[in-house]
Amino acid sequence: MPAAPAATTPLVPYGQGRVRGLGPAELGIHGDQMDRLVALGLPTVPGITVPVQSARDLTDPAVARQVVDLMEELVGRRVGDTGHPMLLRLVASAPVAASGLPPQVPGIGLTPTNAASLIDLIGREGDLYEVWASVLRLVAEDALGVSPDALEDALEGVTSAPAQVEALLAVCAAEGTGPVPEDPAEQLALSAAALMHRWDSPRGRRARRSQRLPDDLGLALHVQALHIGPWERSGIGTASSRDPDSGALAPTGTFHRGMRRSALPTDASGEPLDTLPGGTDLLKHTLATLEHHLRDVAEVTFELRDGKLSLLSAAALDRSSPRAGLRLAVDLATAGTIDRRAALRTVRPQVVQELLHAQLRLTGDEKLLAKGLPASPGAARGLVVLSSQRALELAAGDVPTVLFSSETTPGDVPALLAADAVVTTSGGLASHAAVVARGSGTPAVCGASDLRIDTVRGTVSAGGHTVHEGDVVTVDGRSGAIYVGEVDIRPAEPPAELDTLLAWADDVRVLRVRTNADTVRETEAALRLGAEGIGLCRTEHQFLGDRLPVVRRYLLAQDDAAHREALDALTDAQCEDFTALLRAVGDRPVTVRLLDAPLHEFLPHDGAYEDQSQLDRAVEMREVNPMLGLRGVRLALLNDDLYPAQAEALFSAWVTVSKEGITPALEVMIPLVSLPEELAIAIGQVHEAADKVEEQTGVRVPYLVGSMIETPRAALLADQLAVHADFLSFGTNDLTQMTYGFSRDDVESRLLTGYVERGLLAASPFVEFDLDGVGALVAIAVQKARSVKPDIKLGVCGEHGGDATSILRLAPLGLDYVSCSPQRVPVARLAAAHAALEEST
Amino acid sequence: MTNSAGAAELDDVTREALVGLVIRGMHRGALSPEQQALVDQGLAMAKGPMVMPTPAGTAAAQAVTRLAAGGDEEKSLRPLFEKFLPVNHQLRDLCTAWQLRPDGTPNDHSDAAYDASVRDRLDDIDDAIGRILRRMSEVTPRLSHYRDHLSASLERFDDGDAGMLTSPLADSYHTVWMWLHQELLLMLGISRAEDEKLEAELVAGQKV
Repeated sequence: MPAAPAATTPLVPYGQGRVRGLGPAELGIHGDQMDRLVALGLPTVPGITVPVQSARDLTDPAVARQVVDLMEELVGRRVGDTGHPMLLRLVASAPVAASGLPPQVPGIGLTPTNAASLIDLIGREGDLYEVWASVLRLVAEDALGVSPDALEDALEGVTSAPAQVEALLAVCAAEGTGPVPEDPAEQLALSAAALMHRWDSPRGRRARRSQRLPDDLGLALHVQALHIGPWERSGIGTASSRDPDSGALAPTGTFHRGMRRSALPTDASGEPLDTLPGGTDLLKHTLATLEHHLRDVAEVTFELRDGKLSLLSAAALDRSSPRAGLRLAVDLATAGTIDRRAALRTVRPQVVQELLHAQLRLTGDEKLLAKGLPASPGAARGLVVLSSQRALELAAGDVPTVLFSSETTPGDVPALLAADAVVTTSGGLASHAAVVARGSGTPAVCGASDLRIDTVRGTVSAGGHTVHEGDVVTVDGRSGAIYVGEVDIRPAEPPAELDTLLAWADDVRVLRVRTNADTVRETEAALRLGAEGIGLCRTEHQFLGDRLPVVRRYLLAQDDAAHREALDALTDAQCEDFTALLRAVGDRPVTVRLLDAPLHEFLPHDGAYEDQSQLDRAVEMREVNPMLGLRGVRLALLNDDLYPAQAEALFSAWVTVSKEGITPALEVMIPLVSLPEELAIAIGQVHEAADKVEEQTGVRVPYLVGSMIETPRAALLADQLAVHADFLSFGTNDLTQMTYGFSRDDVESRLLTGYVERGLLAASPFVEFDLDGVGALVAIAVQKARSVKPDIKLGVCGEHGGDATSILRLAPLGLDYVSCSPQRVPVARLAAAHAALEEST
Repeated sequence: MTNSAGAAELDDVTREALVGLVIRGMHRGALSPEQQALVDQGLAMAKGPMVMPTPAGTAAAQAVTRLAAGGDEEKSLRPLFEKFLPVNHQLRDLCTAWQLRPDGTPNDHSDAAYDASVRDRLDDIDDAIGRILRRMSEVTPRLSHYRDHLSASLERFDDGDAGMLTSPLADSYHTVWMWLHQELLLMLGISRAEDEKLEAELVAGQKV
């Protein structure tokens, strides 16, 4: 039913909406979008919008006649003309983004009279008839009132498209309210009626309801001109502006050749874009223009008609790949479209982590065990474990593991987090294990259904190979491959554009970023990723491995001579380690934490002692609650030669490297302080060591000495600690444990996951820094320490130093630096920049 | 001793119970008297809260359901089954789209427009299966209940019961669809492997 007199119906050609003051409310999303594309000078399909408020007028053949006339004038072709043929397509769009819109009506203007000559031009019969049949079906059912059953009966056994068209024309004439007209304007009016009927149907209403859209939401109708040309040079495609893997500006998508497609198929068929007739240059240029306009990765649908490209839609790509988003941000800032701060803002720190996944260095000689779905990127190798419990046990000893499981349940989460890689035999990309693994950045392969896991015999077999629990395998979460044995893993290298972005981040951020590194290898990796020094070097590492026997000799020595001999050996060994480490650090700052771990951890667990007195000594050292027992500075007070020996080793190493022209800025750190007096005594020990080294070498080693803040008492007495200390470093892991009274190992798996599920906690406080509680302690400590020494250096060396959310919470507390594991350094650099940007706004 | 003789000796109600059990794969909950009879005869077994057909029960159900090879009913049903398979493929794609976004990430149902587009596509599938079932029911009236059964699931889904599209634990649209599929396979004597191959061919044929 036409709503208004035909003379008043506005017809808005694409590109003329804005000048008439019309936006999406009148033109619909599509009309508004096409307006912008025309304004950008991009190739678009010629079209006319009948605005929302008068769209129903198009069901009036007189209005449809005006549209056809205007279109013929705009394009210079006549609808259905066989020499320069053009057909029309009717498309609907709503004023807001909506799904469930009526389908497009392609091929308006086809008649039994002109079909043959159009087919000659297209070069294929089926294409045109398939389009025609789809139009007729819609018109028959939604405009001419032919019942679905009558349609179905008419088409029963009719398989060829031309025969279907014939049958449909016949059923419309027989069962419909009228025959299908030949006049293009009358066809257009009927098509408009069909689309409106669809939109008014229960199906249309349901779609609006499910999206909470108003039931009376209107539609704009758009009439587009279709140039008809040879099918080989025609088709429809979709392209996004960036290659998702490399992030490079390169049209990426698919193309469906032929005339019959009126909407993009949802399946995976189609040709790659490099087969596009006429090449991709225009497409690339178009996408590049759009990126600068949208300031986002662009996605277009386009059609090719007789080799001519025109855009059908364009928008920012929903969920672009991390690499594409990063590279775009850098490209836009380099081109001056956005400033560097805006570029920094668009990249989430978590994305940086995703870009730094390790990759395998494959030689082709690998033994493939099985392949599954690439569920979480990255590469890792480790010992095969078949139970969560075993994974946790090994992880506690820092042994890398690959957890194999048929499927996982929430109870396996701690093991999934502890394992270096996860393999499941069932479950897809959305399986529980995959979701958890991606969330934690653990490489994972899921649905490796060829694998046979035998938990009784402790084996995993597939592809003629069998590995046992405890054997080494390598997992590639990007390809889904699982290899027998060790495959070389290339550490993550930041792509060039990430280096660029992080350099901009460095210009903006105030917080410095250091690394937690115990070895030369870790130090080098962290420096490559932009660490400005070491914020935590744990000396425990130097007591393990082949040093363990010496440490045990020291701990179990029966007399002073043996004790002294063992200590000297230990000092020499540590000096070697420190020398190598300091060479790697160069002139940067390095914070060396003196021994923190409980001594009994270095003793054999199996009771293999030489004699009864050794055993007695070991029993004597056993503790009920080692976490709160004889650790850190407390050891230094009980064994007063331990810290001096460590400090002596460090200072001697400094003397050695300084002769090579390397002068690291030493910071000696005393752990687990709770009494200012403890700190004073330990600092005295360090000073004595420096004096001794000066006596021996004639070199006065420059160093700072400071305290860790891990106990609430230390935080509350930070002013008294600051009297003695040159710097303070918050060990937020221990500080969190002691503030909550949580033993991390005991609560994390059993309690915290439940707390998070029940909403008591937003996240584990060991993962995301607790601003309310622990943050209050840090704030007090910062304020008190600075009240005594305004320029005292303050840092964080817990795992929070590498967590983006935590950094945003820590930065406003007034710290100088964070220190995190090497691979988190880039995340911390970007997060620190975000913190600075946030503070400046 | 249990007697696992053929289903031919069963009374109608028990036979229907057997066929129903085989089509659904299992039954969860209290046993009906007929199901108890099936268990007693070795055609089904109770495992905890579940009843499942035994291999003998499956074979017996196949025997009573299978249409006469080369008979009129089979000849009429087979082409309709071939129409069913491409739609079956579409339904699987749609269920995947409901669970996973195109980029492979889980659909967390936070995007109403995305969910609405998936739901909208289901209407085309529902129309198509409706047309196919109408014809199938003309040939085999016992299949007519599926039309109502599918509509009921869809209605509950539209009423806000989100599990009624794909949940394997409910009489969801997908679950009911699987029953229909299974029953068609039994009637036509088609194995799962043949079925997959045929579907792949038919779907590929559509795309040429």
